[in-house]
Amino acid sequence: MLSTPDGPFINLARLNFAKYAARPNLAKALFEYIFHHENDVRNALELAALATETCQFKDWWWKVQLAKCYYRLGMYRDAEKQLKSSLKHQDMIDTYLYLCKVYTRLDQPMTAIEVFKQGLEKFQGETTLLAGIARIYEGMNDMDNAVKFYKDVLNFDSMHIEAIAVIATQHFYSDQPEVALKFFRRLLQMGVYNGELFNNLGLCCFYAQQYDMTLTCFERALSLADEQTIAEVWYNIGHVALGIGDMNLAYQCFRLTLSNNNDHAEAYNNLGVLELRKGHAEQARAFFQAAFVISPHMYEPHYNWAALSDQLGDLQSSYNAAKRAVEAFPNHVDSKDLLKQLKHHFSLL
Amino acid sequence: MATVTTPDEAPEEIVSGGNDKWLDAYHDPVASLYTMTQCIALSDIQADGDWKLVIADLGTGSYNMKLKVYKAIAVASGPYIYVYKNLKPYFKFTLPTLEVNPIEMDLWGQVRENKINIFVLREMLEGMRSEGVPLTVRSLRYLQLTDVADFEAFVNLYKNAPLRRQTVITCLSTLKKSMADEDAISCLVLGTESKSVYVLDPEAFTVLTTGKKLWTVKLPANITTIETMEYNQKGFKAVIVALDNCQVHIYKEKYLVNVIKTQDVVTGLKFGRFGREDGTLIMTTRGGGLLIKIMKRNAVFQEKDISAGPPAAQNQKLNVPKKTKLFVDQTMRERENAVTMHRTFQRDLYLLRLNTAREYVKALENSMNPISSDPTEPLKLSAQVQGIGPTFKLTVNLQNTSLSQPSTDLLITFQFDDKLYLFRKTFIQVPMLVPGLSYAFDTFIECLSDKGVSDNVKVFVLKEGKSVPIITGVISMPVSESVVVV
Repeated sequence: MLSTPDGPFINLARLNFAKYAARPNLAKALFEYIFHHENDVRNALELAALATETCQFKDWWWKVQLAKCYYRLGMYRDAEKQLKSSLKHQDMIDTYLYLCKVYTRLDQPMTAIEVFKQGLEKFQGETTLLAGIARIYEGMNDMDNAVKFYKDVLNFDSMHIEAIAVIATQHFYSDQPEVALKFFRRLLQMGVYNGELFNNLGLCCFYAQQYDMTLTCFERALSLADEQTIAEVWYNIGHVALGIGDMNLAYQCFRLTLSNNNDHAEAYNNLGVLELRKGHAEQARAFFQAAFVISPHMYEPHYNWAALSDQLGDLQSSYNAAKRAVEAFPNHVDSKDLLKQLKHHFSLL
Repeated sequence: MATVTTPDEAPEEIVSGGNDKWLDAYHDPVASLYTMTQCIALSDIQADGDWKLVIADLGTGSYNMKLKVYKAIAVASGPYIYVYKNLKPYFKFTLPTLEVNPIEMDLWGQVRENKINIFVLREMLEGMRSEGVPLTVRSLRYLQLTDVADFEAFVNLYKNAPLRRQTVITCLSTLKKSMADEDAISCLVLGTESKSVYVLDPEAFTVLTTGKKLWTVKLPANITTIETMEYNQKGFKAVIVALDNCQVHIYKEKYLVNVIKTQDVVTGLKFGRFGREDGTLIMTTRGGGLLIKIMKRNAVFQEKDISAGPPAAQNQKLNVPKKTKLFVDQTMRERENAVTMHRTFQRDLYLLRLNTAREYVKALENSMNPISSDPTEPLKLSAQVQGIGPTFKLTVNLQNTSLSQPSTDLLITFQFDDKLYLFRKTFIQVPMLVPGLSYAFDTFIECLSDKGVSDNVKVFVLKEGKSVPIITGVISMPVSESVVVV
């Protein structure tokens, strides 16, 4: 240890793990150092395995640490086994959380929810478990259940930022921006102060018709945002500009979005529409193509490309694009109409 | 007469029009029934709750029906109504006579007095008939005779009898007089050939009132028969009309709510309780067939005109969210501070425009956009990074967006942190770009650190001779998976 002043604190390669495994207190501290500080999963695993053997597989803590090592190495089933056996010895919230992390990684959300619910029976009202369930529902796009569980979280912990934010977003997207605004204001009062929050505040103000506060929020957002989010902030300002009818401003904003994030498919699509309004069909085509290449799951660029190609006379690519649009969003009436029209046209030939 | 009970064997599955509101219960196209709507009844004959289908089969001639009934029943024949109670004749009611056309009356009077010839009579009557004047039965019968010898005989026979014009009862039904109970007394309603409707008092058998026309509905084909449909469970009444074009229409008020297609023209209709089913429709066809349909319990006949009018989608309520109190409060605020809000917004808007323009100019100067705004060099750049590390593959896609102008003399180069990354190819020469096609250029990137950090890499597309790149792309590199030394 500290043989050379600028060398590592402990020389791991020369340690005799068996010796240290026998001393439980030291072993635990050593394991944590190796795992977290040195980030050396293999050695940590070796130490943990030896230590577990030494205490005859009765110590829950070592099982959890073993599971952590297996998780890092990608051996998820082993991690699951260890965590389950650890739970038999001692119920700990952390164990439940780790177990659900494993199940999420194994893409078994329902099992994870089951485990969370078991944990909730033992630890009623534990916000981390409730938030975990809510996150899983959000990931499965089941917003109703997600919001329900986040509300439960707020019952126990009224300062849970994630819960407030998700509920606010839900209100915003279900056409109640004034309620969303109230939630975001609460977050601001709680002390959250970053670009994303101001971006959301600006959007809510705009859609709830509180125009005097909209742009100040966006300015703050611009000044606070980091590189990733600044593209999104410009995109939203572009939408505000579209809302007030200022096409030039919107164009500039969308261009700025693109210069901050080259792969912003929505901005490409919107720029395409703006270019089309100006009459530059070729540019518009290029933009739409860029948009649907980047995000083939969005139906708007496909439909726009199809409509434009149809107008320009390129019926073949219009037909292909209309088919893709209908695949992406089967209920879109316009693409279905266009497809029907083209089919009719082709069958006449 | 035929009495049909519910068939025990499984009904034949005949698809008639694919209707989703009706179940096909029975179809016998060769049941050899010669009957009309008026001769079909669904009634509880033995008062035991089992409603039977009673069909009066006219057979080959005009035999009197044997009706096994319990309550009083009225039979219409010609211009008379015979009322039977317990199978014994009870009362005979005669329709009031109609006015005879005075010219016709005069003509027959003249024939009686031998003032005019029978042939003249015939010609005059034919002339009146072609004008559409309703003639008496006697005149019509006279015109029907084809043999000249019969003319004389006919005229001589009838010229002395007084001329009366009587109309024939064409249809008969009941209408509840004052109470809507099932057992309450009901009045007899008659429809006649002369286009009038009479309502008769059941006890005294006098004419109570005449019917008046309320509205007309135009139909696509001739009507063969018509019947009412009362479904008390759902509480609605409708009219079933059988048409000449093998269709049966169901009308609720004025609206067509359902269409049933059949194989043959339906001449007889009856709707009511049959066996244990509350809603059965029995149809007899022109060719002698018998169709029984059961109405599904969950069938809903919407009172909307399905042939015209705005589409049903317009009647769906829009999913507008509830107005929250907060919303109302905020509108109050807007109303009070309208002017200041507007001023603030406009001022902020100007500042925003200025800000945006400045940023935009900055971006243009750095040419940080992936789409070239220079009209002489119409290019589009996109880049992708593949791989999980520590080796990545960077693919640069370059596309000429113009229609007819090729691009030449282009170069691709990169800017990156050389402590973090190592590029195998830092300089790529671009061949001539044909308009419309996308070209891909790739290079391999090694991540030199294993600490899981990532940085941005800039891709420049340069034109020979210009110091400012035409387009620039910024790629944020993903975190490289650290090498796990085994």
